[in-house]
Amino acid sequence: MHEYGRVVRVRRFNWRLMARVTGVLSLYLAAGLLVPFGVSLCVRDGMQFALAAAGLLILMAGLLLRNMVGGRAEYGLREDESYWLTVAVWVCVPLFGALPYLFTGVTASFTDALFESFSGFTTTGSSVIGRPEDLPQSIKVYRATTQWVGGLGLLLLVVAVLRRLGLGAGSLYEAEFSGTQQRRLHPRLARSVTRMWVVYGLVTTVMWVVLAVQGVGVIDAFCVACSTVSTGGFVTHSGGVAAMGQGVVTTVTVFMFLSGVNVAVLYRLLTLRWRGLWRDAELRVYAVVYVFAAAVCTVAFVSKGGMWGESARYALFHVASTMSTCGFYMSAPQGWPFFVSVVTFVLMVVGASAGSTGGGLKVRRVMVVARYLANYFNAMIHPNAVTRVKMNGEVVEEGYVDKVLAFVFLYVLFIVGGAWVLTMCGSSIPEALSMAAANVGNLGPSPVVDTMGGHLDYALLRPAAKWTLAVLMVAGRVELFALVAVVSPSYWRLRRLG
Amino acid sequence: MGDLKYILRFIGVVLTVEGLLMLGCLIPAVHFADGTWVEITLAGMFTLCVGLLLVVSYRRATTMHSRRMAYLMVVLMWVVLALFGTLPFLATGSLTRFVDALFESTSGITSTGATVFSAVEWLPASVLLWRSVTQWFGGFGIVLVVVAVAPRMGINRFSLYQAEASGADNTGKQSATTAATVRQTLGVYILLTLVFIFLLHRCGLHVWDAVNLTFTNISSGGFSIYNNSLEGLTHGQQFVVAAAMLLSGVNFALLYNLVTLRLDRLKHKLEQLRLYLAMYVVGALLVAAALATVMGYGVGDALRLALVQTVSVLTTTGSLVADTSEWWVPVTFLFVVLSLCGGMAGSTAGGLKTMRVLILVRHVRRVLRERLHPRAVNPVRLNGSPVPPRLTANVMVILIVYLMTALAGVLLLMLCGTGATESVGAAIACITGYGPGLGLSGGFGCYAHFGAGAKLVCSLLMLMGRLECLTVLVVLLPAFWRR
Repeated sequence: MHEYGRVVRVRRFNWRLMARVTGVLSLYLAAGLLVPFGVSLCVRDGMQFALAAAGLLILMAGLLLRNMVGGRAEYGLREDESYWLTVAVWVCVPLFGALPYLFTGVTASFTDALFESFSGFTTTGSSVIGRPEDLPQSIKVYRATTQWVGGLGLLLLVVAVLRRLGLGAGSLYEAEFSGTQQRRLHPRLARSVTRMWVVYGLVTTVMWVVLAVQGVGVIDAFCVACSTVSTGGFVTHSGGVAAMGQGVVTTVTVFMFLSGVNVAVLYRLLTLRWRGLWRDAELRVYAVVYVFAAAVCTVAFVSKGGMWGESARYALFHVASTMSTCGFYMSAPQGWPFFVSVVTFVLMVVGASAGSTGGGLKVRRVMVVARYLANYFNAMIHPNAVTRVKMNGEVVEEGYVDKVLAFVFLYVLFIVGGAWVLTMCGSSIPEALSMAAANVGNLGPSPVVDTMGGHLDYALLRPAAKWTLAVLMVAGRVELFALVAVVSPSYWRLRRLG
Repeated sequence: MGDLKYILRFIGVVLTVEGLLMLGCLIPAVHFADGTWVEITLAGMFTLCVGLLLVVSYRRATTMHSRRMAYLMVVLMWVVLALFGTLPFLATGSLTRFVDALFESTSGITSTGATVFSAVEWLPASVLLWRSVTQWFGGFGIVLVVVAVAPRMGINRFSLYQAEASGADNTGKQSATTAATVRQTLGVYILLTLVFIFLLHRCGLHVWDAVNLTFTNISSGGFSIYNNSLEGLTHGQQFVVAAAMLLSGVNFALLYNLVTLRLDRLKHKLEQLRLYLAMYVVGALLVAAALATVMGYGVGDALRLALVQTVSVLTTTGSLVADTSEWWVPVTFLFVVLSLCGGMAGSTAGGLKTMRVLILVRHVRRVLRERLHPRAVNPVRLNGSPVPPRLTANVMVILIVYLMTALAGVLLLMLCGTGATESVGAAIACITGYGPGLGLSGGFGCYAHFGAGAKLVCSLLMLMGRLECLTVLVVLLPAFWRR
């Protein structure tokens, strides 16, 4: 096409590739359903037919999408299409993933099934199931598996298994970490991502074994390990992990803390390259905030009349659960000091390290904002000072700071907007705000929601509120930009020109 | 040290003006014979004497060298004004506890409109007028008044003005010198006040009521001399007050250009004005729809209530056309959000200001675009011209600090034992300068049931909101005091 005397190449929107990628992931999902299917056959909980039916349906849908619709897909992904792919994958896969809940009848309605599925894949952990111990074993395993896959992310799965994506993989990788500038574990992207999956799997296996040795049943140990390492937070017992004994609580605390750490750091830890690890600024801040918050909370519990040891254990568990956005909870030792709610709310918004499986704003972004503010105040006092934001001793480019600021405001916008819809469904304002914050941050259940206004049971919410929360979860999981870009008019205008 | 002397002299000037205004409250005291003229005279004379004493003692301090001292000057001035403003309340015995008087005085001088009086109609006329006058005086920004009254002061006035407006509006000034800008703005302010007093009088109100209503609404303040705010007025009077509020949220330079018919200069602020009006219309329609459908009002009533109340919220005035604490929760939540957005920069309204909202939205859009077209040049534009990066940085920092202060306020209030809903409402209402919160402190309620600590937190929030946080925070930093 000629325009202004220049050849402008116009390419059609590559929707075939979207279909193909979604189809491939559906096939993996169907294959993954073999695990709960096998469990179902072993323990004879009577769910095998429902699971098989769901699996076959997903398989057929996957084949249809992959071979019929996406058969002649052109492998090449532009930046703007990677946004679409991100959203398509994160909406379609949890949609298909709702089928097993629906077919086995463990949830009361279609909305509930969807809510549970979205909550699982986005590793939020909000649940509409009141008594998880009554669930069939196979469904417990299925829920945990969805969290495990969602933990490191569907996009990284795509990058790892679809080597033909080429340059497009880079933009998907960026989309997964929303431009937090992650270092790679290997110069080749696909290899780097594969290593991340290996590290992730290794940590999960270690935790599984430790839990099994501590006397938790093999299936429950698997579920808890998957939910912890992915920072998901589905529980297998309505008493939470506390019902499994003190040793388990300690294990879970340690692994929650670890899963809030950047996977690249874990990789160095596992490959025994420890030198200079501590110089990583984000890791340091994450650890210091963790210890400090736990200490403060311990004192608060002791002032309410708790014993020192018990309070410290609870505080360590609670702070790890909140910071990593895992969302496990257990009842406090002695009353609930209001001060802890305050700390919890702040930690919930801050969230885990960038490049980890956790959610929230991410420690790295908060550090950038804090340093940016400090520089500004410095410039107010010394008008001629030249200041730059630094991380790990290197100057952070201004474009990155701009991105972080935009992200923070979008995050606030999503919390406020989500809360507004929730108030229409009958929540009070503080309750709505903390519920929205907990779900955008992929935290899920948290005592702070309870103390901000009444006891919270997600099952009792209206369908509209559940849908809102599901949207918030996905928005938080894809780190907002992709979702906002896809629905913003300026994106469409630009794409037509490009 | 020279700078400190200058600050003291400056505070002296401000206190002199405040003392004179206090003495002005003698007029209703004598006219209505409410028996408070002795106390008011004493309070006024005391303030006046302290002010004059400072001016005379430091008359030789005529210049200020350090720019950062301007921040200190602004903060000190507001604190001192609020402190001396408690005198009429305490002297007449309207309030007996100092914390209450400080809360009421701060609320007045920052033109917030939060009150500790559950009923106001029993108050002496002089105290009622004092409440209105502090809002009229404070709403406009006393810095501007003082700079206009004493135009020969040797300070670098621009930096002072910048500290007051926090850089939110340094585009499109219509005159070269700040003093002239200030004089013009003051002229518009007084003109508007007179016009609305006249209009309300023509609508059938006594001059006394018209003066008080105009003072508190043209300054986006929101104190009232009636227990039920605007509810008892006729519909016509309510709409006149709404018009006053609507104008109070418009940039004064824009109003000046409108009044003097320099329409070609309007384009410098056109986008802000458009957003301001759009937010008003859309907000009012949403509220009207909610009132008509969910709360069962008739369409006409719903429209009137929505039109008057939404402008009161958007300009952070806080006058109430009905008891909003009983309105549907999403409507009150919308009010919270609208008051956070606020009116235009360079008006008496509080909140974040439409200009910052615009720059924020465009910044986010630019970041999104940059990811799609990394090499495209797309600066943030406002009214067609690129926004300088310094201003964008300023806007970002204020937005973040503002939100963080609001959050800290909520958490502090909760730690003082206030309920969750009420903490959210009170913190936002105080920092934006709206006034009525949520729950018991919302609607026709008051802040009397708050503890002393909570009242202090609220006073601090009002002060920080009015000075846009940065000015107060920078003075509190240790680095500020280091040589």
